[in-house]
Amino acid sequence: MKPLRRILFVEDDPDIRSITTLSLSTIGGFTVEDCSSGRQAVARASAFAPDLLLLDVMLRGMSGLAALKALRRLPGVGDTPVVFMTARVQPRDLAVYQKEGCLAVIRKPFEPRSLSERLTTIWRQHHHHATAD
Amino acid sequence: MRVPPPRGASAPEAALAEAPRAASSPVRDLIEQYALAFKEYCSEGGEAPLRRAYQLGRRAVGAGLGVLEMATVHQEALVAAHLERLALGESSRLAQRGSEFLAETLAPFEMTSQGLEDVSAILSGLNAVLERRLRATLRDLATTQSELLERKRSERLKTEFICMINHELRTPLTSIHGSLDLLQIVAGEGLNERALHLVDIAYRNSERLVRLVDDILELQKFEAGTMTFRMRPLEVLPFLQQAVEANQSYAAARGVSFRVTDVPAGLWIRADAGRLMQVMANLLSNAAKFSPPSACVGVAASREGGCARVSVTDHGPGVPRRFRRRIFQRFARAAASTDKTGSGLGLSICRAILDNMQGRIDFVSEPGRTTFYFDLPEWHPLPAETPAVRPAHP
Repeated sequence: MKPLRRILFVEDDPDIRSITTLSLSTIGGFTVEDCSSGRQAVARASAFAPDLLLLDVMLRGMSGLAALKALRRLPGVGDTPVVFMTARVQPRDLAVYQKEGCLAVIRKPFEPRSLSERLTTIWRQHHHHATAD
Repeated sequence: MRVPPPRGASAPEAALAEAPRAASSPVRDLIEQYALAFKEYCSEGGEAPLRRAYQLGRRAVGAGLGVLEMATVHQEALVAAHLERLALGESSRLAQRGSEFLAETLAPFEMTSQGLEDVSAILSGLNAVLERRLRATLRDLATTQSELLERKRSERLKTEFICMINHELRTPLTSIHGSLDLLQIVAGEGLNERALHLVDIAYRNSERLVRLVDDILELQKFEAGTMTFRMRPLEVLPFLQQAVEANQSYAAARGVSFRVTDVPAGLWIRADAGRLMQVMANLLSNAAKFSPPSACVGVAASREGGCARVSVTDHGPGVPRRFRRRIFQRFARAAASTDKTGSGLGLSICRAILDNMQGRIDFVSEPGRTTFYFDLPEWHPLPAETPAVRPAHP
């Protein structure tokens, strides 16, 4: 199984962005490309070649779902697994995220200390299922 | 014989019910015939009911009834028909037909001299009264309708508002809670003891805020009726073992242990397992919270009159007497409680969950022993494993 190393992270709130980036790089040891908008993510994604996309849903401008659709069209990012981070986790929202093929939804507020571990678990489960299929 | 003055408007059923006592049976028959013919004319029109109206008028004259009494009979038949038809928006046709029908009934009365005066007086008077009542009824109906719409609108606004506030709170809360969390983990070593203590206070309280925001959203979902329940058969014993296991670490942190005792084998309920697990987490954490150190919290189940009863018993100080009545209310917390980590919404959420699953929650408490329990209808597995034997076709 390929280990999880590179995470493309999109979040428009600067404070949440810096906390999350700090925890992913310091605690998880991941390489993080943090973007403040969907547009920026689309511009940087191909060059960064992420293992995993971590997207906020309620982005200003291009929404998280729209950003995902745009990212999916990029070469090399088409089937990159995605995890959403959101404050909106009503059942009908969750159904939408699932339809878009996201692996998991991280609900805000979350614990930065355990975020990296959660992502690693999600990653491992995804690969386990993928090989089981 | 002069007829008694018309009574105030009363329901036609009441008039009919009174009839056997107040009037001889031919009169009661007349009232019933009138109501029937009137209803027929209102809905279908035509000559036949009008002819019956005339005949009924003649019978009324013959029975010694006066115009005023007929007017009362008419008014009651009209109100009954009116209420029946109002929903169909046919009030103006009804008013029109009502007048025609009454005029026909009263025609025989015009042949007596007293009757003639009465008829013209009653027709104009009655029209005015009916119109007033019609307007009042319509106004009441419109008011009720707009009140209902207004209430629905304000409920929807409230739901939207709570959802919006909830989302708006989560964004800054994510930053505050996350920063404090990282401060402890990543930058903790650079802080002296006093600073660490303050960070700890801030962290615990931000945790509490997170729970509060979660619980408010949860309760709102119950109120708005958007909470969905997936009811499935659930065996009590494995469920309780699972619940205890999932909450063990919380208890261990307080030096308390959980023990599952006395659960009848083969006891099943129908419930939403996730929601019921939420109830168990609440009851178990409350029990652990209020237990003396190194105490044991007992988890048991029993059959109680068609229900499965699950109980969680702690050996804490007991629920203060004055607090007992309020315990399932929102933001209820015993005044003496030193533990302020909860949102104060936990038990009201438990109750809402059980209400939605046709269950109930309650407690018995004395110093040194408090049991919270919930009852859910027992479910009997159908003998599906043994396929029903069908008689072969002849």
